[in-house]
Amino acid sequence: MFGYVRPVRQELKCGEFDLYRATYCGLCRCLRRRYGPVAPMFLSYDLTFLALLLWEPEESFQPCSGRCHANPLIKKPMCPSALALDRAADASVILTWWKLKDSQRDDGLVGGMPARALAGVLYPSYHKAAKKWPEFDAMTRICLEELSQREEERCSSIDRTADTFARILQAAVPEGWEQQRILGQLLYHLGRWIYLVDARDDLEEDKKAGRYNPLQVRYGPQGDDDALALTLDQSRVLMGAALQLGEFGCRKPILENIIYLGLPLVERAVFDGSWAQIKKQKIWSNRQ
Amino acid sequence: MRDPYSVLGVSQNASDEEIKKAYRELARKYHPDNYQNNPLADLAEEKMKEINEAYEAINKQRSSGGGSYQQSGSNYGGGYQQQSSYSSSTPTYARVRNLINAGDLGTAERLLYEVSQKDGEWYFLSGSIAYRKGWLDEAMQNYTLAVQMDPGNMEYRQALNMLQQRGGGYRPYGYTNTVDGLDCCTTMLCLNCLCGGGNC
Repeated sequence: MFGYVRPVRQELKCGEFDLYRATYCGLCRCLRRRYGPVAPMFLSYDLTFLALLLWEPEESFQPCSGRCHANPLIKKPMCPSALALDRAADASVILTWWKLKDSQRDDGLVGGMPARALAGVLYPSYHKAAKKWPEFDAMTRICLEELSQREEERCSSIDRTADTFARILQAAVPEGWEQQRILGQLLYHLGRWIYLVDARDDLEEDKKAGRYNPLQVRYGPQGDDDALALTLDQSRVLMGAALQLGEFGCRKPILENIIYLGLPLVERAVFDGSWAQIKKQKIWSNRQ
Repeated sequence: MRDPYSVLGVSQNASDEEIKKAYRELARKYHPDNYQNNPLADLAEEKMKEINEAYEAINKQRSSGGGSYQQSGSNYGGGYQQQSSYSSSTPTYARVRNLINAGDLGTAERLLYEVSQKDGEWYFLSGSIAYRKGWLDEAMQNYTLAVQMDPGNMEYRQALNMLQQRGGGYRPYGYTNTVDGLDCCTTMLCLNCLCGGGNC
């Protein structure tokens, strides 16, 4: 997805870092088993967070290892198969698919060519995922339709536009799931936060391209970082309040790290412009 | 009832001081101020009740056993009833309040839109509905209007203050203000080498 949702490594204890990595690698393996070789396309930190959140509370984590897809010679700590990973994998495929569809539409006939080619490759995976979790697929489609409506009418309420995206993430908790209310509230505000941070990240580009940007309509062409920071802060406070009500066992410190440290840092980097730079240098560095 | 010691997350042999500290930390976490108008307020209230009961049970046990317990009298509580102590100026507003508290935002909104005269309370309630939905920017706009129209009303002021407070809400130990203490650049770099990337 976007990659905004990640822990701050230096503040994680070793065991917590191992658990995070094992979840990430576990999600990769789960995607591979369910969706074949295109799986790494769907892998993201954001959905790793979802897997951690949905995992049944366990007191301690028993690491087990598996062979890495990219380099089968090495074994890596990997979480065992779990329902939380399955759900996160399916959600990942569905979200990637609809995001791709969205950029196809935005980029027009010629610019959208690469996206269309990619869509052809990913369609079988999407088809499978949508069959496994039709409710989430339907919700994503409906909300994105609403979102494009808001964009067309150049909606001046950042809450209403962000709401459409927030509701998608809220729906990523399966119906009847343990702690559904708590997780739904947490994910709603995570979705709101992601949408607004992404809008801030795109502000300059949208201005140049003459595209709709909710922050521009709400705060004027320069945006208003103070006002935006305040409302993002409130969403993070509400995420924290929801988190504290749930049971997450040994995964709680990682979730706390992401919400209380990771999100504010990413937010700050997006605000001061360093995020774009960091994004370029980074993500798939080879350090083990 | 769950074992009161496990509710507070302390061992049976914890000292009175440790128990008090654990209780205070939990009470800070689930304090009504952190869950004002929050759709999950009922769950926080349950937690708070459980913690209060556990603390009382331990104190009772220890004092009857001749321990060093002194009546602390510092129980947090009752705060969750606060909401109902405010009264509405019209029966419609009273109904809207009840609907908001019950989480029926759709009906509350419809009822509110039937009111033709928009006064301070109208904007306050409209802001509360927005807040409940997680629409924090609209909540802020409405609360601001409410305070402007009725500057003497403490309830509106409190609601607005809560929204304007940056860094408000509970944060566990170790997460308080750490972000400002971290050097953004080096931290981000570390964050990047996370996980060996997509190769795994």
